[in-house]
Amino acid sequence: MSLARRLLVRQHFLSDCFVRAASNAARLKYDVVVVGGGHAGTEAAAAAARTGAETLLITQKIQTIGALSCNPSLGGVGKGQLVREVDALDGLMGRAGDRAGIHFSILNRSKGPAVWGPRAQIDRGCYREFIQSELLNMPRLTVIEGSVEDLLLSAADPEQPGKHKVTGVRMANGGGEILSGSIILTTGTFLSGSLFMGQTTSPGGRMGDPPSCAGLSHCLREVLGLKVGRLRTGTPPRLVKDTVDFSLTELHLPDSKPVPFSFVNKHTQCKPEEQLPCHLTYTTPGVDKVVRESLNVNSHIHQDTRGPRYCPSIESRVLRFPGRQHQVWLEPEGLTSDLVYPQGLSMTMPPELQLRLLREIPALRRVEIRMAGYGVQYDFVCPTQLFPWLQMKNVQGLFLAGQINGTTGYEEAAAQGLWAGVNAGRIALSLPPMSLSRTESYIGVLIDDLVGRGVTEPYRMFTSRAEFRTALRPDNADLRLTPRGFEEVGCVSWQRYQEAVRVSRGLGEALSALQSITLSSFQWREKLGHFSISETKSTLISGKEVLQYKDVSFDLLASAFPDILSPYLEFSERLKIEAVYQPHCEKQRQEMERMRKEESLALPQDIDYFSLPVSLSDEVREILDRARPSTLGAATRLPGITPAAIIHLLRFVTKVGVTTGEAAYMQVRGPKPDCWRGASVHERDREKATVVQS
Amino acid sequence: MFFVTGWRSALLINVTRLCKSASSEDTIFALSSGQGRCGVAVVRVSGPASVDALRSMAGLTRRLPAPRTALLRRLLHPHSKELLDRGLVLWFPGPHSFTGEDSVEFHIHGGPAVINGILQALGSLPRLRPAEAGEFTRRAFHAGKLDLTEVEGMGDLIHAETEAQRRQALRQMAGDLGQLYNDWSLQLKQSLAHVEAFIDFSEGDLIEDGVLYEVDVAVSQLRVEVEKHLSDERKGERLRSGVQVVIAGSTNVGKSSLFNILCQRPAAIVSPVAGTTRDVVETPLDIGGFPVLLSDTAGLRDTCDCVEREGVHRARQTVEQADLTLVVIDTAQLPQDLLMVPGLLSRYLKMVLPNRKDEQCLLVLNKRDLLPKSHIAVIQRVLQQNPGLPPLSILSCHNKEGLEDFLTLLQDRIKTLCGDPLASSPSLTQTRHRTHLQKCVDALAQYYQYRDTDLALAAEGLRSGLTSLGRITGKVGAEEILDVIFRDFCIGK
Repeated sequence: MSLARRLLVRQHFLSDCFVRAASNAARLKYDVVVVGGGHAGTEAAAAAARTGAETLLITQKIQTIGALSCNPSLGGVGKGQLVREVDALDGLMGRAGDRAGIHFSILNRSKGPAVWGPRAQIDRGCYREFIQSELLNMPRLTVIEGSVEDLLLSAADPEQPGKHKVTGVRMANGGGEILSGSIILTTGTFLSGSLFMGQTTSPGGRMGDPPSCAGLSHCLREVLGLKVGRLRTGTPPRLVKDTVDFSLTELHLPDSKPVPFSFVNKHTQCKPEEQLPCHLTYTTPGVDKVVRESLNVNSHIHQDTRGPRYCPSIESRVLRFPGRQHQVWLEPEGLTSDLVYPQGLSMTMPPELQLRLLREIPALRRVEIRMAGYGVQYDFVCPTQLFPWLQMKNVQGLFLAGQINGTTGYEEAAAQGLWAGVNAGRIALSLPPMSLSRTESYIGVLIDDLVGRGVTEPYRMFTSRAEFRTALRPDNADLRLTPRGFEEVGCVSWQRYQEAVRVSRGLGEALSALQSITLSSFQWREKLGHFSISETKSTLISGKEVLQYKDVSFDLLASAFPDILSPYLEFSERLKIEAVYQPHCEKQRQEMERMRKEESLALPQDIDYFSLPVSLSDEVREILDRARPSTLGAATRLPGITPAAIIHLLRFVTKVGVTTGEAAYMQVRGPKPDCWRGASVHERDREKATVVQS
Repeated sequence: MFFVTGWRSALLINVTRLCKSASSEDTIFALSSGQGRCGVAVVRVSGPASVDALRSMAGLTRRLPAPRTALLRRLLHPHSKELLDRGLVLWFPGPHSFTGEDSVEFHIHGGPAVINGILQALGSLPRLRPAEAGEFTRRAFHAGKLDLTEVEGMGDLIHAETEAQRRQALRQMAGDLGQLYNDWSLQLKQSLAHVEAFIDFSEGDLIEDGVLYEVDVAVSQLRVEVEKHLSDERKGERLRSGVQVVIAGSTNVGKSSLFNILCQRPAAIVSPVAGTTRDVVETPLDIGGFPVLLSDTAGLRDTCDCVEREGVHRARQTVEQADLTLVVIDTAQLPQDLLMVPGLLSRYLKMVLPNRKDEQCLLVLNKRDLLPKSHIAVIQRVLQQNPGLPPLSILSCHNKEGLEDFLTLLQDRIKTLCGDPLASSPSLTQTRHRTHLQKCVDALAQYYQYRDTDLALAAEGLRSGLTSLGRITGKVGAEEILDVIFRDFCIGK
C-alpha cells in the first residue's frame, strides 16, 4: 500500500463495501481514475461507477470530499435547474442537498415555473458527511488519499483523433503509478493556484489545504501543449454568529413547505419548523471609504486577471457602482454552527481592514472574524479544446470537469463532473461517447457554451443562456433526462427509472383525461363557479384548456370531476404547469428540431480550415480554426459565421444520428463489437431491487 | 413502454429523437431565378402548405395537376382574386422534389411588378413565409437530396444572394430606415436584458420592480411604433420606374428636404445655400403601393452660373414630362396681406408650370413652423374662396407637421393617375422585412399577455420579438444580453 496513504474511515463506514473497497485499492489498474474530490470529482466518480466502470477517486484529503468551499448554499435561479438535472441523471447533489438543507426556498415563485429556482442553505458538515458516505459505500468505486504528480502518456492511437494518449497517473512522493485509459481531472482552483490577502500571496487553491498540482500544471501546459488562461475568484470572511446583532437586520424566512431538490425524495431531512432563517443587511458609505483606503494594500484587486462580473468582491462592486447601498446576506453555516457567512462581502484586503470594513455595517458593529476572506487566482484550461463529452480533443482518454474548465459554482461543476464521468466510463467500457443537446437540458447548454465559445470570465449558469427555457424547466428535468439516462446513457438506476416512468405515465394519462372532458363555456361556469372564461367562445372547451386559465387549479377541476381526475391529484402542480406551457413549447418545437438537426451534423476535428478548397473568407476560416466547432450547429452559433459559410461547410459534415459529435469520433474509431456492458450492470441492479422489494 | 413514449412526445420532451414528420416545418417561398429583369421568373414554394398555395393561387379547387407536369393557369391573388399573371405551375409532391418536401413552382413573367405581386400574394397565405438565405439548400441537404458536390455550387449562389443583401442592408443602414430598425433592435435588447436581469438576479440583488415598469412603457411604445410603421403605406424605395412625380419651385424653398422625407433617406444634399441642387435627382419610390419615380430639381431662377443654368433648363424639361408636379413654395415668400395669397400662388404656378393642368399638380407650402398658427387658418379660408387653384398642403419638412395630410392627398392623386391595381408591389426585401416586423409585433403582444402571471413566458415574447427583428438587423446573442445586464446592474449574489 505504498502507492497512496490508506484511507481512514470512520467506524460506521466499515461495512462489507468498505472491505471490498479496500481490496480494490490494491489494484494498480482502473477503468476510470478521477483526480479531485470536489463537486465535479465526486459526481464524476459516482457517475463513472454507475455506468459500470471500476473507478478510483484520488483526493488529497478524504475529510474534504464534498466540502462547500465558499457559500453554504445550493441551487438558485438557473443553478437550481442544474441540480435538478444532475439529480434526474441519478447524481448525488440533489439528494445531498435534501439531506443537508436547513433553509429551503423556491426563488422566483412569482415569475413563472420555467424560472423557478430551487435553493437551500446547507449545513456544511452534514453535506460532506452525506457525500462521503455515498461514495465510500458505492459499488465499483475506490477512494484513496494522495496527490497526483504527473500523467502517464503514450503514443496516440492513430485510429482516433488526438496527438497524445493517457495511460495512467503517477502519484507524488514516490507513490507509484496507477494505470487507466480514462482519466478525469477535476482539480478546481489548484492548477497554479495562488491565494491573495492584502499584499501577501501564497501558493494554493483553498485556504488550509496544501498547494498541489504543480506537476500536473507542467504536464498540461508544457508536455501536452494545452492552452490555459487565468481567472480569479474570492470568498468572504466567516463571522462569529454571537457577535452579530441580528436585531438590526431584515429577517428572511424559508418556505413553510420545503420542496426537495431530488425527484426521489418526498420530503427534506430538515423538518419545516426546524429550518433556520437568513438575514439581510446593507453596506454603508463607511464601507466604501474603507474599500478606497485599502486599495494600496490590496494586490488582488490590481491584478489584470479576469474576475466574474457577477458575484464580484465588495471592492469591485464599490469601484464599479460607487455611492450605492449593496445587499449583504447573513447566511447560517449549519444547524449547530457558530459561524455566519456574509454573502456579498467577498474581499481580499488585509484582515485588519476587513474587520474595520465589516464594523462599518450597523449589525456587525461588534463582529469578530473567524477566518478572513481571501482571493484565489488559478489557471483554467481553455474549454474550446474539449469535445462536447468533455474529453480533450488532443489527448485520448483525458477528461476535464469543473472549475478547471473556467466555470464557477458547485452546480456547474457537478453537472460537468457527472457528464465527464458518464463518458469516461463509457469510453473505458468501449461504448461510444454521448453529448447532451441544448434543446434538452441546461447541462447541454453549459457544455455547449464552454466548448463552443470558450470563457472570458468564470462561467456561471443563468436561465437567460438557455434559448429553450420554457421547455427546460426544473419541474420536468426527470421527464427530460431520466429515461434517456437509463435507456441510452446507462447512468440511472432501475428504481429511479421506474419512478420516472410511473410519473410520466401518470401525467400522460391525466392530460388525456383532461383533454377528454369537453364542455361549453356556459357549462364550465356552472361547474366551476365564476371565472374569467370568455363569453363569446362558442366551441367546446377541454379541461386542458380550462386549466390554462389563471384562476383554475387542477385541484379545482378534480373536485368537479372526482371520478376522472382524483387519481392524479399527486401531480396537481406539475399538471397545471404542463397545461400552461405546452402551447408555448409547441411553438418552439420547430426551432428545437432545426437546432437538433444541425447538432447532428458533425464536423471532422482534423479539418484544416485554412486549406479547405471552398470559398470561405479568411475571417471565417480564422473563426472556424480558432473555435473548431464539433458540429454544424455549434458553427452556426459562432459570432461572425455567415449563412453562406454554413452552406459551404455542409459539404464536409458527416451525417449521423441524433446523439451527435460522438459519431464523428466513432467514425474514425470504428464501432466496437462489445455492446452495452452498462446494461448488464443495470440488470444486476434490477435484480437487487427486486429482492429488496420482495 | 408505450405510455412513456406517447406521453413524452405529447409533452415535446422527446428531445432525443428526431421527429420524422416534415409537417412541423414552415412552408417557405422565394424567387429562385436571379433578381432583376428577366424574361421568365421562377418562384419556388416548399413545405407542407405548398399544395394549399398552389390551389389558391392557380384556382385549382378540385384536381391537382399531374406531378412534374407544366400546366398553364391564370394566377390570382388568393384574397382579392385579382389577376396577377398567366404562367406555368408545376406540382412536385414530396419526396420527389428538390427539397424532398411537397413543392410548387410558378413560372411567371419576369417583370418586377409581376414577381412582387406573386410573392406578396404568397406571403398573405397562412403558414407561408419568405425563405431565409440558403434555406432551400439546407432543406434539400437534410432530406438527402443534394449531391455534396452540388452544395458548393449552391453555396456560391447563396453567397451572391447574401452579398447582395449585405450591400442592400448597407445602403439601408445609411438611411433612416436602417437607423429605425437598429434603434428598435437596441431598445428591445435593452428591455429584454432588464427583464432577464429581473428574472435571474432580482432575488438577492437590488433590482427593483421599477425596472419592469420601464420595460412596460418601452415595449408598448415600440409596439405602437412598429405597428404604425407597418400600416404606413409609404413602403420605401422600389425597384422599377412608375408614375413620374417632380418636385419643383424656386430656390431654397425646401424641395430637397421634401424629397428626402418622401424617400426616407438623405438622397439629395440639403443646405441653406440657394442653388444647392443643380441637376435632376431621381429615385424610384413606392407610395401607397404605387410605383413612383420621384425627381428633385434645381430651383428655378435666372442665374449667370452656367452649370446652374443647365440645371434649371433640365428642371423645366422634367416638369414638362411629369405626370404630377409638386410645386413647393416657402412661407417666407407669402405677402403680408394674406388676402393676396391666391394671387401670389397663381403667379408662382405660372412661373413654375407655364402650361399647367390642375390635375397635374399639387401645391406645397413649406416651413409651416415659421408661420403663426392663426395665419394658417386664414390662408385656408382665403383659398376656399378661390376654387381656381390646385389643392394646397401646408407642412413643415423640419418638424413634419402637416405631412400626414399631404401624403394622403398625394396618394389619392397618384392612385387616380395610376389606376393600375397590379402595380401594388413592395420590393422583395420589404416583403421579408414586413413578415419579420409583423412577427415582432405579434410576439410583443405576448409580453403583455403574461406580464403579471408568468414573467418567463412574457420574456419569451420579447425574446422572439428580438429574434424576428434580428433577422433584419443581425442576431442578438445571449452574451450581448448579459453584457447589458452587467452594464446596467450591480449583480452581487
